[in-house]
Amino acid sequence: MSTAAGRGLRGAHQFTRPFIGLILVVALGVFLSPRGAGGGIIFLSGGNLTDILLQQGEIGIMALAMTLVVIAGGIDLSVGSVLAFSASLVGLLLVKWEPRLPTGAQIAAAVAAVLLLGAVIGAVNGIIITRLRLQPFVMTLAAMIGVRGLTRWMTGNTNIDFGFDAAASARFSDLFSQKPLILAVWAVLAVAAHLVLSRTVFGRYLRAIGENEKAAAFTGLPIRMARTATYVACGAAAALAGLVHAARSHQGNPNDGVAYELDVIAAVVIGGTALSGGQGTILGTVTGTLILGVLTNVLRLRMVDSNVELMIKAVIIIVAVWVQRRDRPSINS
Amino acid sequence: MIAFSPIGNHEPAPALACTGVSKRYGGVQALSGVDWELLPGEVHALCGENGAGKSTLARICAGIARPDSGEIRRGGCAVAWSGSDEARRDGVGIILQELDLFANLTVAENIALGNPALEARRWVSFDALSRAVAPRLEEAGIPVDPTTPLGELGVSQWQLVAIARVLSLDAKVIFMDEPTSALTEDAVERLFAVIRRLKARGVAIAYVSHKMSEIFRISDRITVMRDGEMVATCATGDTTVDAVIRQMVGRPVTAGEATPPEEPKISVLGVRNLSTRKLRRISFDLADGEIMGVAGLVASGRSELGRALLGLSPLTGGELTLADGTYLPRGVRHAMRSLLALVPEDRRRDGLFMRMSVLENTTIAALRRYSRLGWLRGGEEREAALDLLEQSRTLFADADLPVGALSGGNQQKVLLSKWLLTFPKVLFLDDPTRGIDVGAKDDIYRLIARLARDGVGILWVSSELPELIANSHRIMVLHEGGLQGILESAEATQESVMRLATGHGPAP
Repeated sequence: MSTAAGRGLRGAHQFTRPFIGLILVVALGVFLSPRGAGGGIIFLSGGNLTDILLQQGEIGIMALAMTLVVIAGGIDLSVGSVLAFSASLVGLLLVKWEPRLPTGAQIAAAVAAVLLLGAVIGAVNGIIITRLRLQPFVMTLAAMIGVRGLTRWMTGNTNIDFGFDAAASARFSDLFSQKPLILAVWAVLAVAAHLVLSRTVFGRYLRAIGENEKAAAFTGLPIRMARTATYVACGAAAALAGLVHAARSHQGNPNDGVAYELDVIAAVVIGGTALSGGQGTILGTVTGTLILGVLTNVLRLRMVDSNVELMIKAVIIIVAVWVQRRDRPSINS
Repeated sequence: MIAFSPIGNHEPAPALACTGVSKRYGGVQALSGVDWELLPGEVHALCGENGAGKSTLARICAGIARPDSGEIRRGGCAVAWSGSDEARRDGVGIILQELDLFANLTVAENIALGNPALEARRWVSFDALSRAVAPRLEEAGIPVDPTTPLGELGVSQWQLVAIARVLSLDAKVIFMDEPTSALTEDAVERLFAVIRRLKARGVAIAYVSHKMSEIFRISDRITVMRDGEMVATCATGDTTVDAVIRQMVGRPVTAGEATPPEEPKISVLGVRNLSTRKLRRISFDLADGEIMGVAGLVASGRSELGRALLGLSPLTGGELTLADGTYLPRGVRHAMRSLLALVPEDRRRDGLFMRMSVLENTTIAALRRYSRLGWLRGGEEREAALDLLEQSRTLFADADLPVGALSGGNQQKVLLSKWLLTFPKVLFLDDPTRGIDVGAKDDIYRLIARLARDGVGILWVSSELPELIANSHRIMVLHEGGLQGILESAEATQESVMRLATGHGPAP
């Protein structure tokens, strides 16, 4: 029979499992970290640890929404392009646009417009995938190409450099590059996504749809609405990441964010979410994002060649997924 | 060998023999020390409840799984196959319960795959392949064009293709694991004719089934298994259905609960001239608390009727009334709101979310009721699900484990519970007892009877006529998409239903 204790134990196990990989990587970080002048471990210094979080913020925010997309049986390859679109558009709206508005209002309007358009791109992805029955890979690949083109065309393929001092773009940049703000947004979104997945009807539907779409149809679940919603969330998350990206780099670069979608998907997969759909956790995705961040950080502290870094990442992805496959309970057929 | 055999009354050398075969899957001892022999020219039935080890034994003997210990001898020589292809080369074929066919390939391609004689070495001549395959299809009772994509055929036709595939192997030993689970009565007859022909040729056939009537008709010997062990082997003529069932379950079981006929009540579902691409002008009334059995052969429109009622197959004509109002089928959600539910035939493909928990599967269709503003109310959800799972006598270790870990019978009960939680007034059950064991069938009959007493109107499909007749108030018989007649179950016999189902009209 089912007992509360049994559930608690398994719950605890599920809770700790994604952390094991993270603990291993942190231990590796401590072990490999260079020492500072006073003999302190540089890797563990407060500034370094928060830098890791900050560097992973953009990937981390997108990975949260990507987790929902993948659990519902989809994938979104367009996030890197949407990030560049968002960064460039906010640049245009803050640098080239000269409305008769107070600076604060202009920033608010620009941010709102960018987030909205990100959501619209996601909605277009979702609607075409669910209504025209295009494969998610194909549709979002097209979106990745098309949005990149749109971004370059709209900027004339040049960087939008942000201004200084009292300019709207400078104030936006100061605001959106603050460490506490970025980390707080990431944390709040992670908690929200976790609750959606574990405590809401919508979250349960996403897992069911990703697990067995035919059974979901026979159950009368709102398949098209739910899947479209995941793409909307992913588009908006990519736009938000683009705002952070623009603020941190102090420019809108239409050629940024190339191959970001692969880092995002890697974080999701390392976190234990199955690309076949139906299974995955936000906690896993956050852990996956941090594993990638810690790894990059340690290797850079060690001055490892960035190309070697890529090779090591490749190995980590394979090992992480293999380990999780092994201890997934097999289903009796 | 024959030269050394003493002349006279003796046992022929077994075509296949197991000694001390054991197999463990994780924590489950699927087989322990099984000794078993299959003789040439015999039909040997393997009986047992789900989990008794029948399928495991068949899979090991056909080279799909390897035993942990013990020995398998084929024609006197010990063998250690590393896959079913090696077993096939030694003349051992199997028809699996979960059909291992490919929807995107044609019938002929499915049959050729893995067949050493038909699989081309370099270039495929599809004409030659079709010519080679056609007689086998004819023999198995499915005379379709070999170039038809398998995906266009229904479940029962898939099973016939799987049978044709084994026939094409010219195997000397054939394992059939629930070969009739998706077959209708006429197709079963054809399969039996095939089995008799094979037997006459000296082929050894191991027949795994839950259906006692079939086992007693076709088999020469019966081996009963329980919990991975051999209970008994005896000649079919020397035993009885009751004795075998007692050996299987270790306790006596009633064959089915005959429901007392009830006085006519008000109609909950009225159907007038319902037509779709596959149904022709079906009319009937279903009263509240009535159990209507739906009988018919392959492609008679049994499943199509359920799909039409939900709006999954577009109507080309007809009028429906549900309770008092007119009802126009518009899909699953609309049907659910109208208190009409369909439990689909293929529980793995269309019914359950195998990796989700028992609890989550039970509540998924009625989840909104256990939520407020989209937030789940976990306690209420759990309470409602556990209550219903207990009523349906579902056995499970832990409601939070994946439903895929349960036996077929318990999976079916979870699937039923999922729909009962939507509190339907009309319930369409598409072959709910397919491929499940005797005890679970009994529980399903009881559940159907209790729902009817609570006032639910029930339409249910079954390919096994005895259970359909014993557990329904009336039997509706379909033939090629048309309604042939509705029989009171008190008057219905297998013969009278079959006459209608084959389009012969009522008995004189």
